[in-house]
Amino acid sequence: MSLSLKRKDLMIVNMGPQHPSMHGVLRLIVTLDGEDVIDCEPILGYLHRGMEKIAENRSIIQYLPYVTRWDYLATMFTEAITVNAPEFLENIQIPKRASYIRVIMLELSRIASHLLWLGPFMADLGAQTPFFYIFRERELIYDLFEAVTGMRMMHNYFRIGGVAADLPYGWMDKCLDFCDYFLQGVVEYQELITQNPIFLERVEGVGFISGEEAVNWGLSGPMLRASGIQWDLRKIDPYESYNQFDWKVQWQKEGDSLARYLVRVGEMRESIKIIQQAVEKIPGGPYENLEARRFKKAKNPEWNDFEYRFLGKKPSPNFELSKQELYVRVEAPKGELGIYLVGDDSLFPWRWKIRPPGFINLQILPQLVKKMKLADIMTILGSIDIIMGEVDR
Amino acid sequence: MQQGWLSNWLVKHDVVHRSLGFDHRGVETLQIKAGDWDSIAVILYVYGYNYLRSQCAYDVAPGGSLASVYHLTRIQYGIDNPEEVCIKVFAQKDNPRIPSVFWVWRSADFQERESYDMVGISYDNHPRLKRILMPESWIGWPLRKDYITPNFYEIQDAH
Repeated sequence: MSLSLKRKDLMIVNMGPQHPSMHGVLRLIVTLDGEDVIDCEPILGYLHRGMEKIAENRSIIQYLPYVTRWDYLATMFTEAITVNAPEFLENIQIPKRASYIRVIMLELSRIASHLLWLGPFMADLGAQTPFFYIFRERELIYDLFEAVTGMRMMHNYFRIGGVAADLPYGWMDKCLDFCDYFLQGVVEYQELITQNPIFLERVEGVGFISGEEAVNWGLSGPMLRASGIQWDLRKIDPYESYNQFDWKVQWQKEGDSLARYLVRVGEMRESIKIIQQAVEKIPGGPYENLEARRFKKAKNPEWNDFEYRFLGKKPSPNFELSKQELYVRVEAPKGELGIYLVGDDSLFPWRWKIRPPGFINLQILPQLVKKMKLADIMTILGSIDIIMGEVDR
Repeated sequence: MQQGWLSNWLVKHDVVHRSLGFDHRGVETLQIKAGDWDSIAVILYVYGYNYLRSQCAYDVAPGGSLASVYHLTRIQYGIDNPEEVCIKVFAQKDNPRIPSVFWVWRSADFQERESYDMVGISYDNHPRLKRILMPESWIGWPLRKDYITPNFYEIQDAH
């Protein structure tokens, strides 16, 4: 990346961290030759909060309200991975109903995330209208979330062994209504955007990534699938109950920004399909595995007494992570969201490594923008879909 | 200790390594010496592990060594249960040096920088090894277990 400035007409421009198209607080140091980008160096860390360090002295249930601040647009996924990691580590089964509720929530969250990618992406390209349109549908999703969890964005809804509360009466009808309404909305977007010649001029062939490159750079999610690789963790290592639904992995082979747009729009439709099936097939029964609450192996701790045994909503304060390790991952809207968890026979994780999709996907940016025009940086960065909350953690 | 098939394959080809068994999900874990890691990384890449999903570093024990952990996967067309392997490379705290795998898997770029930033492992041959999340002027390695947070008054005030 280091470039000696031999020619005098090269210009170094600083973009961000307070630039509206930087999606938060990303800073780019761009070297320009006229309008052509010669070099680009991303500077991160403006939103670093030390979340991995903080996790090391919190029990999981204490940490859970905080994780939604990783990727604050796809909050359900951060909660899902935070409870999945200890669940896998301790072999905790979750009830069928809880698993279905999780799938519904995750897919709604995926749609919300893709919507709030679509709007700013179009705004980056200079089309302001979709940005206002997407809030129409996104608002409805957040209303649905609010009805179940009580919160619109930072839900704190998933629990080790299930979810915190059952779906309220009548919620599933509203959810189905939303699905029908949203399918019309997607058609509207596609009519407005997909064939638009101005849009196509800006995205076609811009930010091309070949399949091989995408794999080597460790890209995941729509970034990888837009380069012709059918790699979706929901299919490849099925978690929750994704293998019980009929849906297709969305992928394109062109590898440019347009392909990534098409993959994401296609994924929103697939998510609706999954939600509709899940709502239809959701079984009854408990929504939380109550036994997950008392796990301390010490003999007769106070927390295993009758009074505490069936108290709602919390695993016992001494839910213990055993001395093992594993790497768990879910398919978040931005890509593979993983946790490398090392337990230490204590309440706190010894190491809680977050593998955020945005952080890994962002690495390829300098290579993509080289030899492109300055205005293409926004297109390419927008099509990568980063959220600085999870990039910087 | 039970040996996985990859370990056997490596033994057959005279590659020095040590099997650490399997992690909780059944993924084979191998320990590799820091000096061998750059050549073995190429061997694994040629073998077919083309996707480095995660690189992570952690402090094994207070006063102990540091570990750099690599989770590798093989992405292939039409494969449902892709092969996975987990590689651990240990380094001493007084001089933690591990060869970088940036030139094999590009996705190590930011992740190795983060590992350097957080636990202070120096990755040899990394093109721009410098702090990534913390300010460049920061002193100390925040995710080491013996790290003391500077100017942290909260606990003192609580008494």
